Amino acid sequence: MINLTVDNKEVTVEPNSTILEAASKVNVNIPTLCFSDDLTVYGGCRLCVVEVEGSDRLRPACNTRAREGMEVKTHSPRVREVRKTLFELIIASHDISCELNCLICNRQNSCQLKDVAEDIGISRMCLTPGADEERESDHSSHSVVREPNKCINCARCIRKCEEIQGVGVFAQASRGPETKVTTFKDRGMGNVECTNCGQCVVSCPTGALHEVYHMDQVWESLYDEQKHVIVQTAPSVRVALAESFGEEPGTIATGQMVAALRRLGFDRVFDTNFTADLTIMEEATEVVNRVTNNDNLPVLTSCSPGWIKYIEHFYPDYLQHLSSAKSPQQMFGAVAKTYYAENAGIDPEDLVVVSIMPCTAKKFEASRPEMNDDVDYVLTTREAARMLKSVGVDVCNLEPEKYDEMLGVSSGAGDIFGASGGVMEAAVRTAYNMITGVNLQEIEVTPVRGLEGLKSAEIPVTDDLTLKVGVAHGLNNAGIMMEKIKAGEEFHFVEMMACPGGCISGGGQPINTERSWREVREKRIAGLYDIDENKELRLSHENPKIQKLYEEFLQEPGSSKAHKLLHTEYVTRGVPGT
Amino acid sequence: MLQERKFLKGPELRDIDDYDFPGFQKALEMGPEAIVEEISKSGLLGRGGAGFPTGKKWELAYQEEGENKYIICNADEGEPGTFKDRYLLDERTLKVLEGIMIGAYTIDADTGYIYIRGEYSRQIEILEETLQKARKAGILGEDILGSNFSFDIKLVRGAGCYVCGDETSLLNSLEGMRGSSRSKPPYPISKGLYGCPTLVNNVESLACSAEILNQGAEKFASMGTEESSGTKLVSLSGDINFPGVYEVEFGSASLQEIIEDLGGGSQQGQEIKFIIPGGLSTPIVPSDNLQAEYSYEGLQQAGSSVGSGGMMVISTAQELSDILTRIARFYMDESCGTCLPCREGNKQIYRIISEAKYAGLTVDRLNLIQDIGDTMQEAARCGLGRSAQLPIGTILSEYKEELIEGGNLP
Repeated sequence: MINLTVDNKEVTVEPNSTILEAASKVNVNIPTLCFSDDLTVYGGCRLCVVEVEGSDRLRPACNTRAREGMEVKTHSPRVREVRKTLFELIIASHDISCELNCLICNRQNSCQLKDVAEDIGISRMCLTPGADEERESDHSSHSVVREPNKCINCARCIRKCEEIQGVGVFAQASRGPETKVTTFKDRGMGNVECTNCGQCVVSCPTGALHEVYHMDQVWESLYDEQKHVIVQTAPSVRVALAESFGEEPGTIATGQMVAALRRLGFDRVFDTNFTADLTIMEEATEVVNRVTNNDNLPVLTSCSPGWIKYIEHFYPDYLQHLSSAKSPQQMFGAVAKTYYAENAGIDPEDLVVVSIMPCTAKKFEASRPEMNDDVDYVLTTREAARMLKSVGVDVCNLEPEKYDEMLGVSSGAGDIFGASGGVMEAAVRTAYNMITGVNLQEIEVTPVRGLEGLKSAEIPVTDDLTLKVGVAHGLNNAGIMMEKIKAGEEFHFVEMMACPGGCISGGGQPINTERSWREVREKRIAGLYDIDENKELRLSHENPKIQKLYEEFLQEPGSSKAHKLLHTEYVTRGVPGT
Repeated sequence: MLQERKFLKGPELRDIDDYDFPGFQKALEMGPEAIVEEISKSGLLGRGGAGFPTGKKWELAYQEEGENKYIICNADEGEPGTFKDRYLLDERTLKVLEGIMIGAYTIDADTGYIYIRGEYSRQIEILEETLQKARKAGILGEDILGSNFSFDIKLVRGAGCYVCGDETSLLNSLEGMRGSSRSKPPYPISKGLYGCPTLVNNVESLACSAEILNQGAEKFASMGTEESSGTKLVSLSGDINFPGVYEVEFGSASLQEIIEDLGGGSQQGQEIKFIIPGGLSTPIVPSDNLQAEYSYEGLQQAGSSVGSGGMMVISTAQELSDILTRIARFYMDESCGTCLPCREGNKQIYRIISEAKYAGLTVDRLNLIQDIGDTMQEAARCGLGRSAQLPIGTILSEYKEELIEGGNLP
């Protein structure tokens, strides 16, 4: 162990700890911008510089190891002067204008520059703000917009994409003040191997990255009296939306969210969980068939559109392993525009399907030609919160209401879709029943739960069959899993989620700048398992509304009608420049 | 009258058939540990600018364990006012090659790189030819001179980026990445090229090492002063009559004598205003301090440093504001852009200085530059950012009144 003092407080840390870690142990807050606890150290912003007794210059706390006997001063006059100048340099590198100002910025409530300004206590500027050149925004993607005029070159997006997602669409180019973050040959995010996962968005400390907004189109539809506008809400939204209204991560706000969406003017409020149950019916049927026939095993899940685009770019030879089942969002769209429209007597042309997703890639997914515009607009959790705020609704103060029944009843299996391992667990609960005719005694498949990057479990089903399943979340882990599969490791069924922790920390979720990634993820996950545990209905195949849907409309899981509406195909994309 | 002391300089040495690599032969006889001792004993300090003891560097690199070890000759001579490596590559090519080979043999590297400034096209041609001939002659390749030591050198051409002269940026560039500095630690000695132990030495340090083995550490150490052994190649330029590369024994001359006796004095008898003694990134020495002795300690006393030995003489004929603008522009353009203080600090300094060229400099603006400069020096990530404000900062504080009063208004 290593003993040192930080601001005259004695602290003991593990060998190889940084000064930043030592300081946090004694509750000393050192401002940082380019640092992120889930990424490698970059040492670019230099805001965390501290004075180390005996050192001729200041040292970055994020990248300086604590040493025995070290005396660190984190807020000495010398440090504060330098920090103020540094901060001023960041601010001065941007144009403050009608286009670019805090009041209309998407990150007005979660801007880390503002946090840092407060930490540093800056109250005047000597430098005149102004950028050398206006840089064009990148609108090439269906999911994510880049506004380089707000970029501070902290490289968090670059590192997130490379280290956590294993994709690496961003790089720095040019030098000096012209240094910029860009994509391969400046092609734009929509024209490279970007998976649309949006992890760069939630990593960005400023407003330089955000989703492609669908808010205006949704407002227009809501105001249009000719249109019947229905909304679906993804599992993870209910445990995160309240954060935008000041609640703790993981706060369950299902009923309040439903009430709030009615206030916004949606004609019906439905649940993506309903079609999550439907997905399980179709996917479990497929798994059972393919396992029985030893057909292209392992089956790979297909509900994460970021993962789908990833495999299309990087492992196109394995596309036939993907389950052909559409994701819950798209199954909802397909069912809504047929079954629901018929039943409600609405011309599908006049029906607008909006989804609220924790995800930016869902925007791309909805735009895929295979999906026939079944889902018209996709709002992220953040966009939904902004829309609610702009009609004066505080989600937390509403009386809970229930989903509209027809496409709004779901099992706990649907809820846990949002957590890594949840789709697997939900599928296992139903597949077991499909094979054996009885339900699992212990329906909680705990080995596939939690934040471990790669998970696996063996589930005894019959004397002859033990189901071997794998789970990976975060695309870097998905890549590792693919390499294992390539190398011959055998699984029957593998769940892949693009985002670390699953959809609960998707690229469309509220951005929490105050807590560690881990804490936020754990709390949201706990929220989902809570919902499942407290539901009476916990098995997709027991959902009465799903049973009714098959009886009245789809016949049976895997039927030709189900195939036509609920299944899809994939595209080989490869990687540009290779 | 000051004379050159020739230890490194000599007649053109490029013909491999006429050279038997005496330093390298000796190295083979001595073995690595004795070589390290000899270099350490010589007191040679790194000639690229930072002045780290070469013997110590070799010792650390020698002690590193690793399947692959690399030696890199840093020939990315980009420090403004510095052109002494170009002379060595031109005229003393085989001494440079010999230095690399001795270093490689000492630390047990099987591959070496010469990372050369892209603009040095003539020197690139010379090196290409020299390496080819050396391979043919068995000076490079397997089992060199029957010593059981195998080694080859790759020549890599830089792409015109100043910061790649910094060793960590150079490594990134060599690996095909963008030329930007790496955070230290880890140091290149333990984790350098492709994560392997890597020894990076300047051209002059390597040529010096070859001569030290050839002529003996004692001879080298007998020249110069206690703290500054040997000689230094000085690239003399600016407002003088005879610019060029001169070899000066440390402690044997004042700055004045170098300028007068070797450089032939200032052009057209103009009054000298100041000199920048060690490449652009060193503090200026004003004319009233030119009696300072040319040595590490002498220049330190004068508030500057030996740096790379690029000595630029500025006379009163020059507009200070022009000089400031050009310096500021240089650092702004050459910052790698990774760390904030260097990227944005140099930009702001350039903005203020170029505005001041027409509008005059106020005390507030001057203080602002000083604040930004201090921040860069305290907080920048690599040597470029930390030293970029040195020439400007010292010009501003030395000629404060002149700059504020006159403002160089037309």
